[in-house]
Amino acid sequence: MLRRFTSLVIQNRGIKQQVDIKWVRPDYVPAYKPERSGDLEGLPKDTVKFTALDFSLSDEIKDAPEAVKKIFSVAHLGRKEYRTLVQKDLIDRVRRHKYDENTSETRIARITGHIRCLQETMELHPKNVNTKKLVQELIDRRKKLLKFLRQYDYKKFEWLLEKLNIEYKGHPETYHKLTRKESLRKLTEMHCDDIRNKKLSDYRNLLESQQGPFLQEKLNTLKFIRSEQIELQLPITVNEQDIAKVEQQLQEWKLRDKQKQQAKQKKKNILLD
Amino acid sequence: MAHKMKDVAKKFLLLGQCVPTVKQNATKIRVKRLELDENLLMYFNKDEFYYCHDPNKMCKTGDIVLIKMLPHKLTKLITHEVQEVVYPFGDVTDPVTGKKVAKARYREDIDREAELYGKLQSAFDYDKAPARGWQEGKKDFTAKPTYTGFHVFDEKDPYAI
Repeated sequence: MLRRFTSLVIQNRGIKQQVDIKWVRPDYVPAYKPERSGDLEGLPKDTVKFTALDFSLSDEIKDAPEAVKKIFSVAHLGRKEYRTLVQKDLIDRVRRHKYDENTSETRIARITGHIRCLQETMELHPKNVNTKKLVQELIDRRKKLLKFLRQYDYKKFEWLLEKLNIEYKGHPETYHKLTRKESLRKLTEMHCDDIRNKKLSDYRNLLESQQGPFLQEKLNTLKFIRSEQIELQLPITVNEQDIAKVEQQLQEWKLRDKQKQQAKQKKKNILLD
Repeated sequence: MAHKMKDVAKKFLLLGQCVPTVKQNATKIRVKRLELDENLLMYFNKDEFYYCHDPNKMCKTGDIVLIKMLPHKLTKLITHEVQEVVYPFGDVTDPVTGKKVAKARYREDIDREAELYGKLQSAFDYDKAPARGWQEGKKDFTAKPTYTGFHVFDEKDPYAI
């Protein structure tokens, strides 16, 4: 009986929480997905429209009937033709000259086209391990090329990101598996920061609200002292400038207070709506 | 040894590289030093990090900068200030000729090559290119450190991986 009771206590100790925080574990997203690889743009959808690259140069295809065009379209000829077309489209966006095939921007564009095609394949066949491996390798290689480009030519790097619609994120300090403990620690830290900041801002508001009455009192007192000194013909210690300064401070405070009240009212109205 | 180093650091300028940080009113500078391992009698790299005061936002991530110790600490964290940017990141100038360089070649040579082959409209133009930073926070997420995403927040942070 006692043993069972103690074991219960020990089991509960692990789940005990001081702060009421609800942790939601982020869903697993495979690395080949566009949101992980940083591709903001998909592939052109209507594949029947595009004639394969080799046939598009011929004159006969231009005034051929629809059925013939369909046969020579990318949709009919297969994925490989489609991929060359996609890659050519991306390379044409950044090409320096007609024969430019192996500069950093064209290489990145070619890899990007390949990645986007393979991402679609992965959507259709998620268990295709060879493709999965290939996409991962290509994504890593592209990231490496982008990293080098960033190091030696930052302007071109930014231009390329814009042209090809890619996101670039730096490497984190460590790649590690997410743990519950780490997440809870970070969330608790954020919670504590929130509490601290709230207390500090509350205290600041309190002090600032006391500033106005104090300045008013100071102004009155200074004026009184000056008038008394003039009346009694004593050496004057409070000059006009001091009084003007305090008056200006008071005006500024009133302005700030008005703005604050307005913001508060706005917040209230939004909450009521 | 370490004590001496600290004295030296107070007097002289330090050369370091700006690294990404979450702090908004300070820049984080990494200074690389060599440290002697007395058992192996070999020098090893040792990084030291300084948080620097930079009100004008002179330096961006990756820049090589000169920093100097402040006469008194600004906050508990900020001890130095950025004096000048020596080498902006990814915008190298050849010190001998004063020309701009990309990797191992002059930029004008690269342009010349493209012109000889017949430069296309799609080619990158250095003269028209805007200054660095126009993609920051849009497609280029390198200003702050990235981290492993640990919670599902209402607002998604692009720096979480």
